[in-house]
Amino acid sequence: MAHTLPSSDQSSDQDKWDSGGLECKGQLLIKIVMRNRLTALVVDGDTTCWVLEQELLHSYGVQTLGVDNSRDAVDLIASDAEFNLIIIEKILPVLNGLEVTRQICEIGVRCKMLEVTACSGESERQAFLAFGVDVFIEKPLDPEHLVPILRELDGQ
Amino acid sequence: MESKHVHEQIAAMRQSFFNEEVLNENFSQLEQLEGKDNPNFVEEVFTMYLRDSIAFLETIEEAMKTIPIDSIKMDSILHQLKGSSASVGANKVLKEVNKTRQVLGKGNLERTKASILELRKEYDSFKAKLEPYFQLKQANSVAQEK
Repeated sequence: MAHTLPSSDQSSDQDKWDSGGLECKGQLLIKIVMRNRLTALVVDGDTTCWVLEQELLHSYGVQTLGVDNSRDAVDLIASDAEFNLIIIEKILPVLNGLEVTRQICEIGVRCKMLEVTACSGESERQAFLAFGVDVFIEKPLDPEHLVPILRELDGQ
Repeated sequence: MESKHVHEQIAAMRQSFFNEEVLNENFSQLEQLEGKDNPNFVEEVFTMYLRDSIAFLETIEEAMKTIPIDSIKMDSILHQLKGSSASVGANKVLKEVNKTRQVLGKGNLERTKASILELRKEYDSFKAKLEPYFQLKQANSVAQEK
């Protein structure tokens, strides 16, 4: 089942976009101004992580869709849904993250893919990178890792 | 005056969590995601975390009763608990999860059991500390709205 994170402030986000950019709130969060509205798919079976990752992305103006299992992720991609960024956890219900990555890449997806996981050995890390993951991040997803990626996707 | 006292109490509680290393800087990042659009975000996340963590722990405790132990399944659950604990900044819980994964990986059944007991104690302690903090914050927030 696909989920969306309810945006509680879509109208004020729209106002900010209309004025030319969206600045990230908060002091510890790294501030950036995004020129484009990016989209991201978050694939994580753990609710807490799923909510946090989406909220972090949302705080940077990224429109997110979240799914909590690998089958829904693959079905979504196979139905031609497009994203600038896909974030995948290693351990997922149905298929593991590595298999999901492989299937998504086989479909022909060419967006930025991040593996965000609690922990992994070097051999697994290399396997994910070989299958098409661009960046491997240990949880939690943080602005230090995320911002450079968003800037790159935004063409900054 | 009363409101100022409650604010100071909340701030002191929060600081004590960092001083005692119950929480780490990831909690601060979580707080930065809270705003007027989502004023209870941190509390909601912690409610989710505590609910899901106890389910994980109970599953692990049940799994320890089966012979032989399904260590792959247990490690998978500990992996998830590690991820969510790291994400909310539950520092001591995270450390106990790491210890448990290590002893589980070495195949020492007795040490694994002992480690799971310690993990459970740490979780219970964490919950006992954080719940009154959020209750106080909530009560203060309601009082301020009046």
